[in-house]
Amino acid sequence: MAVGIGSEPLELVDAVCCNCGETDASVPIAVGEDFEYRTSPDTFVMYRCERCEVIFLDPRPARGELGRIYGPDYHAYGFDEGNYGLSFRVRAWLETKRIMAWCGDLASNARIIDIGAGDGFHLKLLKQAGKPTWRLEAVEPDAKAATAAAAAGLTVHRGFVEDLELEPEGYDFAIMIMTIEHVDDPVDVLRRARALLRPGGRLGIVTDNTAAPDASFGRSRHWGGYHFPRHFYLFNRRALAELASLAGFEVDRMGTMMSPVNWTYTVHNALDDWGAPRWVVNRFTLESAPALAIFSLVDLLARLLGRGALLRTVLRRPLDRS
Amino acid sequence: MTKNRLPVAILGAGFAGLVAADELTKRGIPVEVYEASPVIGGLARTFRDDEGFSLDFGAHFITNRLAAAIGVGDRCKTVRYYGESVWFEDSNSSYPFGLLRKPRLVLSAVAARTKRSREAVTVADLFRQRYGLALSTEVAEPLIEAWSGLPATRLAAAVAAKLSTSIPKTIWLRAAAFATGRAVAIGYCHEQPENANVWHVYPEEGVSMLVNHLASRVESTIRLRTPVEGIVVDGGAVRAVVVNGEERPVAAAISTAPVNVLPKIIRGTDDLAHLASFRYRPMVFVNLRLEGRNLLPDVMTWTPGPETPFYRLTEAPISMPWLAPEGKTIITADIGCEVGDEIWSADDGDLATMCLQALEPIVPNIAGRYLGSKILRTPIAYPVFDIEYEAERRTFAKGTGIAGLLSVGRNGEFDHLLMEDLYWRTLIRVRRLASQLV
Repeated sequence: MAVGIGSEPLELVDAVCCNCGETDASVPIAVGEDFEYRTSPDTFVMYRCERCEVIFLDPRPARGELGRIYGPDYHAYGFDEGNYGLSFRVRAWLETKRIMAWCGDLASNARIIDIGAGDGFHLKLLKQAGKPTWRLEAVEPDAKAATAAAAAGLTVHRGFVEDLELEPEGYDFAIMIMTIEHVDDPVDVLRRARALLRPGGRLGIVTDNTAAPDASFGRSRHWGGYHFPRHFYLFNRRALAELASLAGFEVDRMGTMMSPVNWTYTVHNALDDWGAPRWVVNRFTLESAPALAIFSLVDLLARLLGRGALLRTVLRRPLDRS
Repeated sequence: MTKNRLPVAILGAGFAGLVAADELTKRGIPVEVYEASPVIGGLARTFRDDEGFSLDFGAHFITNRLAAAIGVGDRCKTVRYYGESVWFEDSNSSYPFGLLRKPRLVLSAVAARTKRSREAVTVADLFRQRYGLALSTEVAEPLIEAWSGLPATRLAAAVAAKLSTSIPKTIWLRAAAFATGRAVAIGYCHEQPENANVWHVYPEEGVSMLVNHLASRVESTIRLRTPVEGIVVDGGAVRAVVVNGEERPVAAAISTAPVNVLPKIIRGTDDLAHLASFRYRPMVFVNLRLEGRNLLPDVMTWTPGPETPFYRLTEAPISMPWLAPEGKTIITADIGCEVGDEIWSADDGDLATMCLQALEPIVPNIAGRYLGSKILRTPIAYPVFDIEYEAERRTFAKGTGIAGLLSVGRNGEFDHLLMEDLYWRTLIRVRRLASQLV
């Protein structure tokens, strides 16, 4: 094997269920590899905590390996119209509707922070569709993504939210879209987010839904939501509600939303794993509008049954507690 | 020093002992691993020679799930094919479906299925109910007898508890193996569900890589050449171990030793005295280095007939080509024996000659391919499920009955456990112990 990205094993560290802090009740449910980017030759196990219903990666890459597992071509850093065309425009339209449903009623002086903002995709949508007086800030550890967000005129705090010194109780709304599943310690990150919110402030979370049909479909290996080895913690409604409670939040609302992405990558991963020709595998990526369209329809059905591919929740920092 | 600060003593630096040490260390519980021999690994050892042959102590079954759980998936290779067959009446039948070609066996099996079955006490009862008289007496019973060294009528039915996978599931997993080009594991893990995405893998460096990796994580806790001379029990609980004549207080003890050793080293109670009668079957593994590849009908070939001294043949390089130099192979013949009998004491050369002669009908002209041999002997290859102590065995399977004393691992559980089961079972038991210590 050639020397370079992907040829050396990652440094791995042990993990526990984020909700109960233990591995006592965990059972292995999936074995997989980095099907999408092949950043290392390692193989990984996802465990399900039978007590908390959290699914977690153990062992997982050490923090020092983040630069390798989020390589320069990682999709969250370059999701733009130029690369993704129609898919980008449809997603931007949908996401604008969704994020405005969260933030639309905020006052004109509201301060909004996106934790794990990537290249600032959602904040840019808010900038276009929201009130011009809103103050929009991004938290992002990756240099390239942070630079892209800053270039779009956003205020960027570069680093991990748990390491940054941000104004306590300074924000009205925090956003964590496709972020919580990537972090080392979700309870700690949510507690940090809570401390940033003024009492009564809200936190919007979107994350992969382990109770969705696509998760069942690829359960033992290929599910796109595993995203080996970048998703450390995955949730269903119950597990996410328990996490929120541990971090001192109340659940304002919780539901699911339609997304074709995990379906698409579940098929992609299976085909890749079984050695299908490259041109077939490549029909199932974020750049493939037909696959995204078909799986959007499939997942719309799942969504109507309350089992869409993503969990979408709004948590509230209680007014009456410090 | 509080009780929680006392170490847990682990007897044996084999696979199970090291898994236990690693798990406790992760939880911040101090451990001391005592290994009587000068090397780690126990039965999970690899012998390599200068010509490029790699030999493990018997066949090991490792899955991609186990390798990933230990964190060594990148150092294991996928096994593309695994299959078993039965050499029976001078011809080969693939297992299990090939045996269906023989009408006599099928008729007897169907007849057995139509009868109402009572609870099987011995494995002979069980096999006759499950497979019918012909298949049982001609194939299944001779194999289990050679394996155990007792007549099937004196072996408990429990010995065969893990030998059965449902037919629809076998067909599905075989189809998955065929479609994916991977040796999907069928019947090699009972603790976790089998599925099309769990398949056999094998370390490039042999099975010892697994234990070396685990040992590297707990290196400072391992004491080689340090047998535990005693486990001190007081008030129904483990209090100390005796090492080099000195009593060392411990929070608990985890033994991987053969269970019949426990009564000899436990002090302060006779509760486990009955374990002294539990026996293990000694085995001689005759490893023949040979010119050529794919010499046997399948990776594992069972030989129930009375004409062969061995009951099982394995050509591991069919599944793991990297275990032998190109164009060469190793066939391992398993021979059950008793310590000190004529097989156990036979000269290495004589054993090789005997096996080559018996192999001639299966591999014609095998003598012309012969390059050399390595003989491995172990007095404790498999537990003997003698009905004489079956009630005690069942009780022991639930626990030792002594607080703070676990008996884990292939020898310690007195069960025929494969690698992945060994791993999950050891973890579950050790985690339970850890929760009691905190």
